[in-house]
Amino acid sequence: MDLSELLASAIRMSIPILLAALGAVYSERSGVVNIGLEGMMITGSFWAAVGAYHYGPLAGILFAIMAASLMALIHAVVSVTFRVDQIVSGVALNILAYGAARFASIALFQRATMSPHVDGFKHWNIPLLDQVAFLKPLVTNLSPVIVLAFLLVPFSHWVIQRTVFGLRLRSVGENPLAADTLGINVYPLRYAGVLISGVLAGLAGAYLAIEHTGMYVEGMTQGKGYIALAAMIFGNWSPFGAMGASLLFGFAESLSFRVVEGGAIPYQFIKMIPYVLTLVVLAGVLRKATPPAAGGIPYERSGE
Amino acid sequence: MKKRFKYLLLEIASPFIAILFAVLIGALVMLVIDKNPVEVYRTMFLFSFKRLDSVAIILFGMTPLIFSGLAVAIGFKAGLFNIGIEGQYLIGTFLAALAGFALKGLPTFIHLPLVILMGMLGGMLWAWLPIYLKVKRGVHEVISTIMLNYVSFSLIHYLIADVFMDKQQGLAPGVGNPIIRLPKIAATAVMPKMHSFLSNFGINLPQHVYLNWFLVLALLMAVGYYFLVWRTPFGYELRAVGHNPAGAETAGIKPGAVFFKAFLLSGAIAGLTGLSDLLSYFGYMDLDFPRGYGFTGIAVALIGKNGPLGIVLAAFLFAFLNRGAEGVQAFVGVPMETIVILQGVMILSIVVFSSVMGRYIRQQEKKEAALGSAAGKPGVTVGAQGGVK
Repeated sequence: MDLSELLASAIRMSIPILLAALGAVYSERSGVVNIGLEGMMITGSFWAAVGAYHYGPLAGILFAIMAASLMALIHAVVSVTFRVDQIVSGVALNILAYGAARFASIALFQRATMSPHVDGFKHWNIPLLDQVAFLKPLVTNLSPVIVLAFLLVPFSHWVIQRTVFGLRLRSVGENPLAADTLGINVYPLRYAGVLISGVLAGLAGAYLAIEHTGMYVEGMTQGKGYIALAAMIFGNWSPFGAMGASLLFGFAESLSFRVVEGGAIPYQFIKMIPYVLTLVVLAGVLRKATPPAAGGIPYERSGE
Repeated sequence: MKKRFKYLLLEIASPFIAILFAVLIGALVMLVIDKNPVEVYRTMFLFSFKRLDSVAIILFGMTPLIFSGLAVAIGFKAGLFNIGIEGQYLIGTFLAALAGFALKGLPTFIHLPLVILMGMLGGMLWAWLPIYLKVKRGVHEVISTIMLNYVSFSLIHYLIADVFMDKQQGLAPGVGNPIIRLPKIAATAVMPKMHSFLSNFGINLPQHVYLNWFLVLALLMAVGYYFLVWRTPFGYELRAVGHNPAGAETAGIKPGAVFFKAFLLSGAIAGLTGLSDLLSYFGYMDLDFPRGYGFTGIAVALIGKNGPLGIVLAAFLFAFLNRGAEGVQAFVGVPMETIVILQGVMILSIVVFSSVMGRYIRQQEKKEAALGSAAGKPGVTVGAQGGVK
């Protein structure tokens, strides 16, 4: 087993975490903690399978994005408009997503826990580079979603750092009162942050179902939504940071598959690696991390 | 005084309005799959409450939920969100099971309490790391407890399947496969059922009901929770920290120390969650030991607004929903998952309603205060989600 294959597998494993972590960046930068990412991913993975089963992979992606955005909309209404504790809202959303996916799975596939096989996109090879033997596993047989995910990283950086929208998004996450005083309407921006995170979490779920596994399986997200949150924190609330952290988590996960083949350590301990790594990473780095100042705090206009 | 009463009424009414709202959403879901909601809800009620044994099954079902609800609530009161009940009670159940089968020859009055204490110890142990990481390293307890839940699933799997699996299960030769489970607990560690006690009052429960004394322990725990949180100095500190950690610190309370105590206590109560099933129903722990009490506990604490009576009632509500779900699945062909959706919607609507209601009450009180401060002080407003932040 050579290094480039391991790296290729790490990249594939990191994609759902990366997409969801990018979503978390938008949401958190606007000042809304989104622990409902897990639920949005579950929703995305299920509806991706529904769309892909009936109308092909592109429809799968669209279905996933729409369904996950609907979940995000609920999160925004509950936590931004009604100013309920954001973590409580997110946890409730996760419970709801679990039940709804099971329910819909019974209604549409006649079984609660999995969908039939679905076809993904035609995979790409990157021309020229695929001639280099060492790079071959990295640049051949690529899902378009992988390419899209990596393109979204610099794009998100540009949006957040260089556009008016990004500036406003950050301002309502840092100091909503000041932003409001300057005539920036806080609520629509926070809605936008949460909805973008829903779109990306839906895409993450869709990748898992139609590109990675070829079907929907209950519990296939395995806490990746939470790990994505940790990746976003580890990445210091920035797209490039989130990418680095996601690759690390993806690497840990792909490594765990390789170690199982060895068999010296009981596989249950191998399965713990991503979660333990998350804990270690959070315990090690958080001190120097700087979250948005108003993250997690509902904004209330005075005089309302 | 009249006004205060009106606000109190509003606060009590808000969960009921929210439940009603969730019931309506549930009805919509049923309409989508072509079922008559009235019929479904009617079946739920009749199936659950028409027979005495069914009521006793609901009481048995609410027992773990009271423990997990209280465990979540005590965290909320200190401003901590313990999503780790799930892992904590699995570890607690495991340690209890270990003490239950490994120790032999002890009399019941020593063995049973010891096993129960082991359960609490296990929960506490699993709660220690997240609160340590929070206080010392600033790791948010929500993420760390969720990660530890996943770790506990694998760890328990390993301990049951690879280390302590019962290899001497009495199987007829050549028939079936052994279950992957721990050895059975000793008879001295079994929690007795309430049947013989209840028969003194003319209530005769059939043998297939497992209602046991853990229910009484859970109710006592709720009473104890009330005294601890509202009637002791520690409870005062707990609420002060939960309300405003910085403010509490100014008043000479160390938030870190309170966080530690509250979270370990939460873990200890969480450790009791699985024991009713372990010590009175299964008698052993296997890979399919009931999961999810921790998550339902969050809902129970939220709906019960972190109050002891509210938690007991909410636990009853969820036990009824679970029981009713079995009924509607069997008799009207509505999947049980409908009820999970109902629960999710219920949590969301309850937090929204109580937040809106709390804000309305605060506004009214502010207005009153502004309208020439009347004789009595308006008093400290109980924020609707005061415990959650």
